[in-house]
Amino acid sequence: MKLTRRDLLWGAAGTAGLLVTPVPWKLLDDVSIWSQNWPWIPQPTRDPVEVKQSFCTLCPNGCGMRVRMATGWPVGVAGVASHPISRGALCPLGFGAHQLNWHPQRLRTVRHRANSSSWQAATAAFAKACSEGPIAIIDGYPGRAASSVFQTFVQKRNGSYRTVSGPETQALASYESWSGVPVAGLGYDLENAQTIVSFGAPLLDGWGTPGRFARLWAERAAGSTDPRLRLIQVEASLSRTAARAWQWVPVHPGSEAALAAGLARVLLEERLVRAGGPMPPMTLAQAAEQTGLSTGAIADLARTIVARPPVVAIANDGNPAIAALNVVLGAAGACGGIVRKSKHAESYASADTGITSARAVLIDASVPWDFTPPTNAEVFRFAASDGGSGAADWLLPAPGFLEELTDVPTAPASGIATYAVAPSLLKAPPEVHSAAEFLGGIDPALITVEKVIHTRCADLFRGRAGILQGQETTPVSKCSSVQKLEEQLWKGAVWIDEPPRSAAFRCELKEWPATADSAQSVGSSSWNWSKAWRAPVLPPLATKLYLESSLREAPDRRNV
Amino acid sequence: MTGSRNIVAFGLGLAVTLLAGWVAFPRVLYVQKRQPLDFRHKTHAEKSGMAECSQCHALRDDGTFAGIPTMETCAGCHSEKMGTSKSEAVLVDTYLKPGQEVPWLVYARQPANVWFSHAIHVKRANLACAECHASYGESDDVRIYQQNRISGYSRDIWGHSMSRLRRAPHEGMKMSDCEDCHRRHNIEVGCLGCHQ
Repeated sequence: MKLTRRDLLWGAAGTAGLLVTPVPWKLLDDVSIWSQNWPWIPQPTRDPVEVKQSFCTLCPNGCGMRVRMATGWPVGVAGVASHPISRGALCPLGFGAHQLNWHPQRLRTVRHRANSSSWQAATAAFAKACSEGPIAIIDGYPGRAASSVFQTFVQKRNGSYRTVSGPETQALASYESWSGVPVAGLGYDLENAQTIVSFGAPLLDGWGTPGRFARLWAERAAGSTDPRLRLIQVEASLSRTAARAWQWVPVHPGSEAALAAGLARVLLEERLVRAGGPMPPMTLAQAAEQTGLSTGAIADLARTIVARPPVVAIANDGNPAIAALNVVLGAAGACGGIVRKSKHAESYASADTGITSARAVLIDASVPWDFTPPTNAEVFRFAASDGGSGAADWLLPAPGFLEELTDVPTAPASGIATYAVAPSLLKAPPEVHSAAEFLGGIDPALITVEKVIHTRCADLFRGRAGILQGQETTPVSKCSSVQKLEEQLWKGAVWIDEPPRSAAFRCELKEWPATADSAQSVGSSSWNWSKAWRAPVLPPLATKLYLESSLREAPDRRNV
Repeated sequence: MTGSRNIVAFGLGLAVTLLAGWVAFPRVLYVQKRQPLDFRHKTHAEKSGMAECSQCHALRDDGTFAGIPTMETCAGCHSEKMGTSKSEAVLVDTYLKPGQEVPWLVYARQPANVWFSHAIHVKRANLACAECHASYGESDDVRIYQQNRISGYSRDIWGHSMSRLRRAPHEGMKMSDCEDCHRRHNIEVGCLGCHQ
C-alpha cells in the first residue's frame, strides 16, 4: 500500500486534532483509575459506616483514635482532637494500624521451635515449667490491667515480673534512684516550660506521645525568631528536630554527657542557678575538647539556657549526666520541668537483669520484637505478627489491633495521670489468645482483665477526683454511679487526674554521676532511636511513609 | 490547486477528529443508566414541609453521613400507595413491601480510598449543600446517571464539561477540585486528611 501525501495530511490532522480533544487526557485518567480498581483488590463494603472511639495500643502512649468501621471492620483511623495528650495526632504506624491484622506475617498458629504446635501443648509445657521452677513474665506496657494479671500470677508462684522500657522511661530512671519516686510516677511538664534543651531526643520526630510536643512547637515556636518556647537541640547531626529548633548545638557523637557536665559547671561557677548541686569533676576545657565546642560557646549556651525559665533538659536515653543537669537547673520537681504526676505509681524491675535463674520466661505481646531475654530458660513469646529470627522456644499468636480489651494507663512522658479503656472492636480469631487468657487457662482462679478494669473504674469513682473528657467534659464527682463512669470510658472518654497540688520531689544527688562512656553513649542515643519502631511488621501505610517517603528520619540517613 | 487540496484534506481530517473527540467520545465513554424509580425532590420538600436537605440526608450521632434515606424513612408516608404514579407503585410493590432498599445510583459517590466528612464541611466550614451538589434538591426529576465504562465512576466526578474548563464551582469532584476549593479557602489538608 502506497502512502500518499493525502494520507500523511490526514494522519497529521488527526493527530493534531486528537491532542485538542479530551480523548488522550481522559483515557489516561480513566485508565489510571481503572488500574487502581482491579476486581481482585478487596474493597470494604459501603454501609453502614460508623465511627468508634478507641485508643492506639501499639505503644504505651495510648493516643486517642477514631476508628471508621464498615460493617464491623475497621477501614480507617484518625486522631482525636479532644484527647488531652495526643491532641488529634497519630504516628504513621498508628494511622495504618487497622491494616496490621491482615498482614501476611500475622501469626495464626502456635509454633514450637519453628514447627507447628497447639495451644494444648503450649499450655502443658508452661504448666510443667511453672511446677519445675521459678518463672518470669516480661511486660512491655506496665500499669495495664493485663499487667496486674501477670503480677498476680507470678506472686502466687514466687516468680518475677519484669518490664522493658522505652527511651522516654529510661531517661527518667536516674530520678527514681535519686528521689525514690518511681519512674511511672514522673513525667515532663512541657506545657509550662519555656526553654527545652534536648540532648538528641527527637522531639519533633516521634518522641513521647506523637502530637504532644509537635502541637506545642506549632503553637509557641514555629515560624518565630523569638519564640515563646525555645527549643535547643544538642545533636551530632542536623536531624529533623535540630533543623526546626530555635538553636542547634552540633556536638561530637556521644559527647552529650560531657556537654551536660560543662553546662553544669558554668551554671554553678557563675551562680546562674538557685537550685545548685554537685560540681562536675570535668573541667570546662575537658568538656570543650570532648564536645568539639569552644569553652566560650559552652558558657554562652549555659547563659542562654537559663535566660528564659522554666527550663528542662530532655535526654534521649538513661544518661544520668543530663538528669543531673536538670537537678542543677532546679527542673527536677518543678513546674515546667520533671514533675511527679502520681503518688500511687509502682516501681518496676527491668527485664535486663534478674531472670537468668528462671525456668521459663513468658514475654507479652507488648514487648518490642527485638528484645531478647538474657536467659537460657524456655521462652514463651506472645506476638500478633512474626517479625522473623526471634529467639523463642514457643511463638504464641496474640490478638491483633483492636481485637483485645485493654486499658490505657498514663503515657510514660506525660505530665499528668490519665486513664482510658480501649474496648475490643473486633472479634479475635479463635486461634489467637492473649497472654492474660493463656495464664487464666493455667490458673482458673486468676483475676481477669475485665475484672481489673472494673475495679480500677470503681477506684476512680470512689476517688471522686479528676474529669472525664470525651464528647463532653464531666467531673468524676458528678458521675452518678460506677456504671455511668465505666460507660463513658468504654465510649472513648479519657479520665484526667487533677493537677497534683505539689509536683515537687527531692533529689538526693551528692556527687556528679559518672560520665557515660562515649562509645556506649553513641550506641544508646541517637543511633538507637529508630528502635522505637520495633513492631515486628509495619502496616503498608507506615512502610510507605516511613521507608519510601522518608517522613521519619531513618538512622542510615543521618549525616553524622 | 494541490495546495488547496492539501488544506482541504488536512481540514477534513481535523474536523473528523474533533467531532469524534468532542461529540462521539463522551457518548461512547459514558453508559447511561436510569435510576430505579423517579424521585421528585421539590414535590417531597413541599408536601412534607421539609426545607433543609439535612432533614432527610442527615448526619448520624457519630458524625458519619447517613446518605440517602433508607426504606424506613420512605415507609413513614408510603407504607401504602398514596397516589397513582407509576414510581410510587414501583416503590411500594418492589421495594417497600419485600423490605428491600432501593439500589439508587449515587451521582457523587467517591472511591473507597477517599474519606470525605460531610460533618466537617457542612458544620465546621458552613458549606451549603449546593456548593458541591448544585441545586439538585430543588429539581423535580431524576437525572440520567452516566457511568464511565472504564473507571466505573459517575460522570459527576469528572464533571459534565469534558474539557473541565470554565466549569461551575459545583461541577467536578476530582481530587484537584477538592484541592482548588481548599486553596481558595486557605485550608491546608495533607494526604492523610482524605486518604486515611
